[in-house]
Amino acid sequence: MRWSARSLAGAAALAAWASLFWFLMASGRTNLYLSSRTDWVVPVGATILTISALGRLVSARSQTPEHLSPKDAWGVGVILLPVVAVLALPPASLSSFAASRRSSFSSAGFTSSPEEVASGELSLGDVAGALRSQEAMSALVARAGSEVDFTGFVTRDPGAAADEFTLTRFLISCCVADALSVEVRVVGGPPGQFEKDQWVRVTGKIYPLGDEVIVDADSVEAVERPEKPYLNP
Amino acid sequence: MVDIAQPLPQRNASLRPVAGVVLGLTAIGALLHLLEPGRIAAAQNFLLVFSSLLIEAVPFVLLGALVSAVIEVFVPVTVFEKLAGLPRPLQLPASALAGMAFPVCECGSVPVARRLASKGLAPSAAITFMLAAPILNPIVIASTVIAYRGRESLWAMVLGRSALGLVAAVAVGWVIGSRSSGEMLRVRRGDAVAHDHEHGSRSAAFFGHLSSDFVFMGRYLVLGAAVAAALQTFVPQTVIGSVAGAPVVSLLAMMGLAFLLSLCSESDAFVAASFVQFGVGAQLAFLVFGPMVDTKLGFLYSATFSKGFFRVVVVTVAAVTLVGALWIEVLVG
Repeated sequence: MRWSARSLAGAAALAAWASLFWFLMASGRTNLYLSSRTDWVVPVGATILTISALGRLVSARSQTPEHLSPKDAWGVGVILLPVVAVLALPPASLSSFAASRRSSFSSAGFTSSPEEVASGELSLGDVAGALRSQEAMSALVARAGSEVDFTGFVTRDPGAAADEFTLTRFLISCCVADALSVEVRVVGGPPGQFEKDQWVRVTGKIYPLGDEVIVDADSVEAVERPEKPYLNP
Repeated sequence: MVDIAQPLPQRNASLRPVAGVVLGLTAIGALLHLLEPGRIAAAQNFLLVFSSLLIEAVPFVLLGALVSAVIEVFVPVTVFEKLAGLPRPLQLPASALAGMAFPVCECGSVPVARRLASKGLAPSAAITFMLAAPILNPIVIASTVIAYRGRESLWAMVLGRSALGLVAAVAVGWVIGSRSSGEMLRVRRGDAVAHDHEHGSRSAAFFGHLSSDFVFMGRYLVLGAAVAAALQTFVPQTVIGSVAGAPVVSLLAMMGLAFLLSLCSESDAFVAASFVQFGVGAQLAFLVFGPMVDTKLGFLYSATFSKGFFRVVVVTVAAVTLVGALWIEVLVG
């Protein structure tokens, strides 16, 4: 019985992906890629990949070992490429570039209902709910002038006044690929103090106006990117 | 025991490509770390979408490979011979409905379908199952209900999606007809493992199939995710907003968008529901077409099935989706 190079390559591919999933769990970076609804795939994936890698390794000795052709080797290389990319790059989340490319109709099913908008502390999920349905928008209009406390990143529209910017946050239901943005226009902020893509916390009064939502800022402060940068169900 | 070790040149033949791959990956890792593509917004967006698509899909591909390996090693051929004995008019709808019991998204159903066909199930039935499972499984139905709750179109979307998904999957199976697995499946080197367990242990055969399917499907999944991430990065979604009011064009635009985005069928309803400027028909077209035909599936299908299969799926699913979604829009829109 001899080691089969092809089997060992398969075990290596499985082990590399298992390592990536364990790394995501240990570093807390899962939130940068998946929503809380789907983050269970990481521990499950890590466990199954580890068992599969060990199983393949244990069974990699054969009476008829197969060599690894260049085509097979590069195929395994392609599978390993995303692992290398995630491990080599610093943590990041979707930015204003994505906001300019994606749908901002935040109508995802996990946004707040009109009843939820009508009572309690207002959240960006409530704003998304208001942009989704006329009933929820009516409930938000009824609360015009209420105090809000929102965290998101800065996006700027060309031609906007110096003391204005758009506060953006993404909602994801499974992974970053299905992200939708929710946006509020912040007025009365300190001119020129905050740069594009900077994470800020805004407190102020909310005023729904037509199909947009405005926050008249009482304070705007720079904050670190939250541990969970995306809003989840 | 007879030792039939490989001659030295074959071992060297294995080492050389491994060294090349290790060097290549190390260089890429070092470059990514030093150049910090995060400073370039488009590059960062591409890498985030690319990585997240794969992190979500890889466990499902592995689960698909696991089910496929269980079928190959532990399910006797006689089971499939019995199923193959059913009359064809029954076989296709039964295969589509069997998808309800397989709650994984589209990436996981491809290796399972391939294995079912290679074990003796009619390829038309296996493919019908593969196409129906990502739409008819209970998780996808539940996510569609959640995404559309509170809307008048809720039941039109949920029932319409399931019905059109069923019809489209059966239609593809019907078009494939009585073609054999030899005609439908691409031969690949890993198939040699199929007979190994006649000589070795079942567990060795199980892990052999599992690993072989994972490595085979994985590389095409990576390529598909790269193309989908590039399209998401460089093609703004607002481009299609201008055709929202056009009756047939809006449906085609949403089908095209579903193809480009390559979303998981368990999350696509949330995105479809966000396109409020599009009618019921166009949103339905997005939800039926996407789980059967998208960028990453194009790579997986082309690698798994014979030449021409992808064309058959695209044309048939597009035709059923277009006609069905238009009818539903007329009835409830």
